[in-house]
Amino acid sequence: MTEVLASLQQSGLSVWLRESESIWALPTILTVHTLGLGILVGAAFAFDLRVLGMGRSIPLAPLATLFRIAWFGFWINTVTGVLLFMSDAVRKSTSPTFLTKMAFVALGVATLVLLKRHVYARDAGQDGASSTAKMLALGSIVMWCAAIGAGRLLAYVVEF
Amino acid sequence: MAIETLFNVAHLHLLLNHVPTVGSVIGVGLLLLSLVRRNDHLKHASLEVFFIVALLTLPAYLTGVAAQDAVEGREGVTQQIIDRHHDAAMVAFLLMQLTGAAAWVALWQFRRRGHPAGWSVPAVLLLAVLTLVVTGRAATLGGEIRHQEIRLEDATPAVPGVGWLTKDGIQRIVTENPWVWPAAETLHFIGLCVVVGILGLVNLRMMGFMKAIPFAALHRLLPWGLLAFGVNLLTGMLFYVATPEQYSMNGPFYWKIIFLMLAGGDFLYLTVKAKTFALGAGEDPPVFDKAIAATTVVLWLGVVYWGRMLPFIGNAF
Repeated sequence: MTEVLASLQQSGLSVWLRESESIWALPTILTVHTLGLGILVGAAFAFDLRVLGMGRSIPLAPLATLFRIAWFGFWINTVTGVLLFMSDAVRKSTSPTFLTKMAFVALGVATLVLLKRHVYARDAGQDGASSTAKMLALGSIVMWCAAIGAGRLLAYVVEF
Repeated sequence: MAIETLFNVAHLHLLLNHVPTVGSVIGVGLLLLSLVRRNDHLKHASLEVFFIVALLTLPAYLTGVAAQDAVEGREGVTQQIIDRHHDAAMVAFLLMQLTGAAAWVALWQFRRRGHPAGWSVPAVLLLAVLTLVVTGRAATLGGEIRHQEIRLEDATPAVPGVGWLTKDGIQRIVTENPWVWPAAETLHFIGLCVVVGILGLVNLRMMGFMKAIPFAALHRLLPWGLLAFGVNLLTGMLFYVATPEQYSMNGPFYWKIIFLMLAGGDFLYLTVKAKTFALGAGEDPPVFDKAIAATTVVLWLGVVYWGRMLPFIGNAF
């Protein structure tokens, strides 16, 4: 496994990402990753807050668009995230902070999928804000905040 | 691009630093006049003045450190006298932003129901008078940096750096507690998501997407967007005050402020003027509103772009 990661890290693309002075290497990938974060988590937060009762007169049906926006951000970040991982694969694969972040991202995505399924279920009520939906929306906020916190920590925690 | 080739930041500080003082005098004057004459148009205008002055106070305050670099070491200019000005200006800046935010809330209430809530205009007036006093003091202390002739002979300069809400106090907090910076960064990113999420949703509707949503349901979210922006303003201030050398000569930083101010202008347009505000379900916004909303989306993504690029195009980090 370590050999696979090491060779991944030594690939031409990874070396370029890691070592190039170009603004299009790591700086742009990181920035696009942040924009993707804003789009994904921003759309998720907007939906979560509505379910939790903020702006409760907003009809839920047209808000389904928010999920398409969130998935758009998710794919941006999957692509940029894989690139960022490649440039530092060996260290990232054992970093507790990184693995914690990945766990929270997975939980965040799972919570969103469940929330969407629940709110737009055929037998859901008009306003869709059942207590289960509210729990899921709260869970989504917590998971994404934790993922952001762990992600930010990656820049500050030194791990060996 | 090196920022000094674009404009002289120190000059800009000397130009803009009159705006908070003069602007608050105009705002308070208009507001008092509106109360005496019981005139809602004047009241509305004074609230708009406070919001715009708060926006202009961003560059007025944030160009200060570059001006400091320009005068440091000159005869009669001591660190102590500069710090005293910075500490006063920091408090004045925070109060001004609070006044601008309160004025926005009153404008939002005006738009929603034709008149502001009973508490909001008195709150704006109270904050504005307080801001005026503190801003006046900050301006005086700033003037004394290069005008020794107006310094009072017997005035013992207040010792700067006492208490936590001072430049030295904040620097001390950040240095002594290694968790403060990453924690503030995390809050800054969470705030970013809330701002982008709420303003993105509102402005997508204003661009003509999700037409089934009546706008009246959406503009209730705006104060939460403003609150999240407040979190980012405070955490951003922490970064700026703790390590001003990362930002004072940093091109992307000034682009970020310019984008923020333009986004603020869009926010004011949306609140006081946009016809979209009254749209019901299924109704299409006018073309001009759609264009403004599109600029808002681009501007906020631009703010994120410049912020994230601070260490790469500029020198922050």
